[in-house]
Amino acid sequence: MPEPFLHPAPVNYISAINRILIETALLHPDLVQMGENINKGSCIGGMTRNLPGRVLNIGNCENTHCGVGFGMMLNGASLALYVKQLDFLLLGLDQIVNTYNLIRCQGQSQALGSFTIVVIVCDQGMQGPQSSCNTLADLCSLARVDGYTLTNLAEARHLLGQYLVRPGFRIIALSQRLFHSPVLDPEILYTSPNGGMIQYSDGPDLAIVCFNFSLPQGLRLAAECGRARLSTRLFSAHPVLPHAWDMAVEAARSTGRLVAIDDGKGVNSIAYLLAEEVRRRAPHCQVTVLTRPEVSWTVGADRFEIDYQALVEAVRV
Amino acid sequence: MSALERMAIQQEAALAQRVLQLRQWQQILNEELKSGAFAVPVHLAMGYEALAVAVDEAMGPGDQMVLTHRNIAYHLARGGSIEPVLAEYRGSEQGLAAGRLGSMNLTQPARGIVYTSSILGNNLPVACGLALAHQTYNRSDVVWVVLGDGSMEEGAFYESLLFAASHQLAVVFLIENNDHSLASTIAQRRCRIDGASLCGAAGVPFASLSGNDAALYRERLRQVRRRCQSGGPACVEVALTMFNQHAGPTPGWPSDPKRISIEDGLLLEPHSRDPVYLALACLEQAGEKILA
Repeated sequence: MPEPFLHPAPVNYISAINRILIETALLHPDLVQMGENINKGSCIGGMTRNLPGRVLNIGNCENTHCGVGFGMMLNGASLALYVKQLDFLLLGLDQIVNTYNLIRCQGQSQALGSFTIVVIVCDQGMQGPQSSCNTLADLCSLARVDGYTLTNLAEARHLLGQYLVRPGFRIIALSQRLFHSPVLDPEILYTSPNGGMIQYSDGPDLAIVCFNFSLPQGLRLAAECGRARLSTRLFSAHPVLPHAWDMAVEAARSTGRLVAIDDGKGVNSIAYLLAEEVRRRAPHCQVTVLTRPEVSWTVGADRFEIDYQALVEAVRV
Repeated sequence: MSALERMAIQQEAALAQRVLQLRQWQQILNEELKSGAFAVPVHLAMGYEALAVAVDEAMGPGDQMVLTHRNIAYHLARGGSIEPVLAEYRGSEQGLAAGRLGSMNLTQPARGIVYTSSILGNNLPVACGLALAHQTYNRSDVVWVVLGDGSMEEGAFYESLLFAASHQLAVVFLIENNDHSLASTIAQRRCRIDGASLCGAAGVPFASLSGNDAALYRERLRQVRRRCQSGGPACVEVALTMFNQHAGPTPGWPSDPKRISIEDGLLLEPHSRDPVYLALACLEQAGEKILA
């Protein structure tokens, strides 16, 4: 059984994603890419440095930027909007919720184009209270928007390749906490057709499902289990509807144990929905949900801590 | 009278007839509203007829419109028929959008009306995106986006104006100033906004229209369109009088002093504030000229 892999690739997370964005954009010459400081200064923390094609450096009008994306989409064009912080997107909620609903409802006489928001989630805790908004699924749930959280190279390659330019609308999120860490490069074993569930390992002892940006914690838990000669079935789950949870539920049923992890600060974690689904379909499964019962509203490292040894001991019992 | 003069008179008369037709269709809708025929809220636009007809005639074949909840005059002008609108309001599959969109979000893509929102200011960024797509594909089509004097108060107006100006997008911002946002007049809710100064600050050409002369409106709007095609947005503020209540039948609210009935004819006020007044005068003059 392969151990889950904590082998870092030689580049850091943000450089790796920047490279993938460039490679993907080169495949779509009609793609318009825009963002505040997209090609100035740090280029949004390095995310958008040297993007090819038509790149618009734009002013501080987030609500309008979101609406522009939908207008482009209505006219069959493709737009990628890069946003510095998830908090900034709150200014565009009218567009993300209402405009998207209207477009979905009215049905189009011509094919829709592509609108993708690529946003950084400031989850390292140093932004202060405003960085409490770190759960992509919360935003997505307002209008049932598809969302993808990028935590590693394999996922970034796959999800950006599939969804940066594709008819329709979605949000792809990066974690600022991971920016300068060596990028993780686990091997993907399986991806659900809608990209909502990605499997990284396949073992008989424990199912682990990671939400938001908690895959690094899931990988660490899998590694700790490996040291204790326990083999895990590890997944990352993205807020994409319909939930592609069958494989995770089956993993929970067959291993008899599920650990669902969510580092988001919202109170409506979809990890609880998965837990409920598992309890319904596999009532004998032992389910543990790890979320953040308390959060700090002040500046601080704000790390999502897990007692790995206690979890491993619990599994061994 | 030369053939050319006769043709010009006939064209103006045809325009006036369209104004009357729009009023008649709205009167019919108003009677339906009074009878409680529609489950969806309908925002009539009696008083907007000259503008709607002029915009329709100024639009190019590939132009697009982005509307608000008070979209009825444009739908009737662009569609040229009341039946699909009536059917839509009744929730019928024969409706403009097969009964799925109702009134406030109604679109008519085949006639260029591609997006409609009842949320003030929401439609302005979408219009910019439509225009950015035209620009991306090197198309010279223009996007006409309608807003009211209430939407001017939203940040989206300012943001969109800046975005369109910054990226030289062919957008006509068409402000329907009826002096009302729900039941509040401009004076009751805010300071005056000088559209010319606001637009001038961003380098956006600005024009004011008033008087309900459909032929004059059409000519001015065609000029504005040509200017947008050469690059960049423009803003046109039109002074309007609305002869119906905010929404629903007229009389709508118990306090509504107006009593509009189709039995009383098309004219609601013998003044140029009512487009029908000018349209009737135009037709009368045209008849006299041709007979002479």
